[in-house]
Amino acid sequence: MSAKQGGKGAAGGGGKAKKPAKAAEEKREDVLQAVILADSFQDRFRPFTLEKPRCLLPLANIPIIEYTLEFLASNGVQDVFIYCGAHSDDVEKFIKESPRWNHDSPICPFASVDFIRVSDATSIGDFMRDLDKRNVISSDFILVHSDVVANIPLDDALAKHRARREANRDACMTMVLRPTGQGQGPHRAAEARGITPVFVVEPSTGRCLQYEEMHPLQKEHYFKLDPSLFKHPEFEMRSDLIDTGIDICTPDVLALWSESFDYELPRKNFLHGVLKDWELNGKLFYTEILDKGYAARASNLRMYDCISRDVLERWTFPYVPDSNMVHDQSYRRVNEGSCVEDGVVIERQGTVRKSVIGRDSIVGSGTTVSRSVIGRRCKIGKNVRIEDSYIWDDAVIGDNSTVAYSILAASVVVGQGSHIPNGSLISYGVRIGDNVSLPKAQTQRISLLTEHGDSAQTDGSVVGRGGKGAFYRQIIDDEDNSDEDDDRDPAVLQNSLVYSLEGLNLSSSSISTFASHDSFDSDDEGPDAASYYPSDPDQRRSRLSSFASDDSAAAAAAKTDDAFHGDAVHGIVDALRAEDSDDFDGAKLEFMGLRLANNASDSSMRRAIAVAFVRRASELLSPEHGALEPTKAAENAFVSKNGAVKFIKEVGVGGDDVAQQAEFALALQKALHNTKGLEAGRAGVLLAAMLQQLYSLDVLEEEGILAWWGDKRAAETEDMTGIKEKCRVLVEWLENADEEESGEEDEDSD
Amino acid sequence: MAPSQAAYAPSLEKLLKSLKSKSLEASIEDLIFLLKRRQVSGDECANATAHMLLQVVARSKWHDVDQLLSRIQSTGSRLAQAAPHEPVIGNIVRRVLGLIRDEASEDRNADEFMSESVSDLQSLPPSAPSHTRPTGATPVRPALVPTATSLAVSKSMFNLLSAAETADSPMTGASTPISQAQPTSAHALRSEVIDGIEEIMDEISQADDQIAGFADIQVHPGDFILAMLPSPAVERFLLKAAAKRRFTALLASNGSYISAVGEAPYAALRKKLNAAGVNTVNLASNGLLAYMPRANKVIFGAKAVYQSGGLLVDSACCIAARAAQEYSKPVIVLSGVYKFCPFDPSEEVSKVDLGNPMTYVSYGDGPAVDALEVENAVAEYLPPELVDVYLTNLGPQTRDHLGSIISDHYKPEDMGLSLLINEA
Repeated sequence: MSAKQGGKGAAGGGGKAKKPAKAAEEKREDVLQAVILADSFQDRFRPFTLEKPRCLLPLANIPIIEYTLEFLASNGVQDVFIYCGAHSDDVEKFIKESPRWNHDSPICPFASVDFIRVSDATSIGDFMRDLDKRNVISSDFILVHSDVVANIPLDDALAKHRARREANRDACMTMVLRPTGQGQGPHRAAEARGITPVFVVEPSTGRCLQYEEMHPLQKEHYFKLDPSLFKHPEFEMRSDLIDTGIDICTPDVLALWSESFDYELPRKNFLHGVLKDWELNGKLFYTEILDKGYAARASNLRMYDCISRDVLERWTFPYVPDSNMVHDQSYRRVNEGSCVEDGVVIERQGTVRKSVIGRDSIVGSGTTVSRSVIGRRCKIGKNVRIEDSYIWDDAVIGDNSTVAYSILAASVVVGQGSHIPNGSLISYGVRIGDNVSLPKAQTQRISLLTEHGDSAQTDGSVVGRGGKGAFYRQIIDDEDNSDEDDDRDPAVLQNSLVYSLEGLNLSSSSISTFASHDSFDSDDEGPDAASYYPSDPDQRRSRLSSFASDDSAAAAAAKTDDAFHGDAVHGIVDALRAEDSDDFDGAKLEFMGLRLANNASDSSMRRAIAVAFVRRASELLSPEHGALEPTKAAENAFVSKNGAVKFIKEVGVGGDDVAQQAEFALALQKALHNTKGLEAGRAGVLLAAMLQQLYSLDVLEEEGILAWWGDKRAAETEDMTGIKEKCRVLVEWLENADEEESGEEDEDSD
Repeated sequence: MAPSQAAYAPSLEKLLKSLKSKSLEASIEDLIFLLKRRQVSGDECANATAHMLLQVVARSKWHDVDQLLSRIQSTGSRLAQAAPHEPVIGNIVRRVLGLIRDEASEDRNADEFMSESVSDLQSLPPSAPSHTRPTGATPVRPALVPTATSLAVSKSMFNLLSAAETADSPMTGASTPISQAQPTSAHALRSEVIDGIEEIMDEISQADDQIAGFADIQVHPGDFILAMLPSPAVERFLLKAAAKRRFTALLASNGSYISAVGEAPYAALRKKLNAAGVNTVNLASNGLLAYMPRANKVIFGAKAVYQSGGLLVDSACCIAARAAQEYSKPVIVLSGVYKFCPFDPSEEVSKVDLGNPMTYVSYGDGPAVDALEVENAVAEYLPPELVDVYLTNLGPQTRDHLGSIISDHYKPEDMGLSLLINEA
């Protein structure tokens, strides 16, 4: 990891020669230093971050990094080091041109502001290791991300940290966390996190004992507690904490980073790893859980949304627009909780509620703006409706348009009578023609650039006549390690942020959508899975999160069921596919383990097994797997592996009871019904073949099959009936084979 | 390793300590951001402003009075702009401006006395406005600016004739291009103004004590004194009264009082009062009205007193004053004279600061955060008719006399300061 020496002090403008000063600095004990990580190596803010770094995106019309710097200044930080990755020129330029932060300026509250560029850094870990080599950190320092919005005073935390460090040299880091209230219902900031961090904390000392991350898409919905935890008299597992990304570190922390070269993320890798190896390194990490004050990171678009609203509602006080923290601002509060800057024109009958409007913007007559942020020099036409949206500088919105819950970047033009639906992300300079309604289906990302940063071919069907821009498709290939696309989040979750969470709108329903889709099969959604799909995609804010584990018990049960289903099906199908062995015991063991872990019900087990075997059988019908005849396919699916038949009989059917056998047959039918790419006729044939196969293998008895035949649920829909009809031959054969017993049932069935 | 135990967060105290090592501009900017971040607020503002203006006088380069005045004005309006919710800042700026004008005219008079070339015409116009009584006459403010300019014009015309002699006339408009400013007079003026500002600082720091000096007149034995949100001034007043009188103090807090861990509101004050033999009763916001019939007097501190007699007070004082009026109990407001604002509150009322909703609702309370819009007004306007006595460091006053106090302390030229804010 050879680190390039970066342009120091805003391209050498420092006047102070930094190199010789270094040695002296090491001895300056009482100077508070801070390190800002101005690149997160994520692409959650795409397409906006294609052109600008995240820390310069405006949040309530102020670049996010302003909040971070102001926070540091308010805590008396003297030396600031800014680590830049992507767009480092932009960040440097911003700081250099800022009248307040450029450290040549007499009014800069910091004694020094240094930029450090690491040319080949691919993660935060690289930054930290570079920092360790530079030897510029003399004592305790504050490590923050460049997207922190906070108003907390750190003095207490610093004092406590210092006291701990003096008592024990191994106490090397204090993390500032904020609770979102336990058991008080869902919290919007907690929902917006995306990933739920779980801190295992010793409540009396605040020592962090273990750190895990949970997210709704992971395979296991649990994590393992370290056995050594139980040596502590008490500990708490807290998933309600918001990680503010503010760490108070001693220089030892940097050494820890340097010790292992594979740590990339400060929490998931570093904290988790170091805590796990506590026996080896002996380092202690502490948490400072603050219930007063505000702190949060705009770590994704939903957090951006959440923090913007918090700013409007003054939770971030004094960092609110009418404090005019930034130099050339002149906001003042007007009626209805809004803040407007000088030169704003609101024409007659224009209504502005709980919004922020920047200088020289014009709001036309009859227009309603609510809970939104509008940048400078925007022109909003007549009779426009803007709700919950973030519109950056110089945007133009034509008459009679509507914009709902979207982000419109700088210089976006929206024509007259257009409709921008929930969750749209429209990047710089895009032009939407007149009378265009963007489709509501999923997140609309429209940009002038493609994912590789080239300019995109305008897609007239999207942006309308006279428009400019095209759909932006996120790179979702997590193996693609190109410079910025280096996200360490679980790949599935990252995809989900792209596709279903509507960018801004990571509502419970979209989460559930993913949970039920799980990995790669969409064919296994039982009717019950469909029931927690969003009923109304518009009622976004009232919905609760189902993954914050504070929901109703029913939803939680449905969730575990669903997770169990996906994992179980996957496991069995894999075992059936395996060509090098004919052993099924492993899969069976795994299945039973899953079942215990999730406390799955009999019916969900039955469903999972039916789906798994149906999938395997239908797979064998397809050309790439040999295009077997249905009979052959059914036989192959059941008997190719030792023990599979026994497994079905014992676990899938679960007994000799006629009702249970009928249930299993019904599950098979439903699974076939839901299998994609299999038309009803063929599905019916396959079902008949499978039932016959199971009959001949003594798994199902004729009573069971006939009971299924008579079951009303088997003929609920036309497709189901179609599948069922194909089995008539089999059923009749069964009836004939045993005429005396089947007499009564025959009458029922017709 | 011997880390300093000092806190890192900037504060007024630290700023004042570091004044010498920093450039003037950096200090001003530091104070502006301390104000914006509310790390300096309330009664500290007056002191901070005076300190900063003292620095401006002492350290900035100026050659004549006009330069000094404009520097003070620009710095002052920057400070006032940084905290529009603290009218006291503007008051101090006005006081300092008035002080400079006084010193300058004294100088000039002295000079005129010595030099024989006295132009009566010259001395008249500048002093004329200061003799007019602006009390209660609000339109004075806009009218004054033109007066000043016409004055400048007329003066420069005189200068045409009486060239060198007017060089020492510090009240000239900026138009006269006279470079041979007199270093001696500037030097003398500097030290005089610095002395004057120090006097103002003394006044600010002693105001609370002086107010407390009137305690035994206001508090009678056996009284029930209801102190709403006891400010430091009120605390001092009560303690002073406790030294001489036996009475009962009802200490009322609004719901937002957050104390150190586990302590009842105003515990320190209660301990001191009890030690002095005064019974105390703590009232939560609900209990206030129930105790009102029992109380003899209601006392609270003001953040600012307007020309009309209206007040800017901590929120919740208003309800106490209204209740007192219902029960015909006298309301006594404690306010140093430096808090008297020479203007009416019309535009100021809308500038009342909205604080952090966290005072009332925890941000951790998810459903509440989503469902509620919490407006935490940290201050509110109290109409003049609810106040009976204004207890200042100059003694108890009634509403009718506020005007004369204001005209004693401010120069009419400076009353329009708030209008100049945007020029900064």
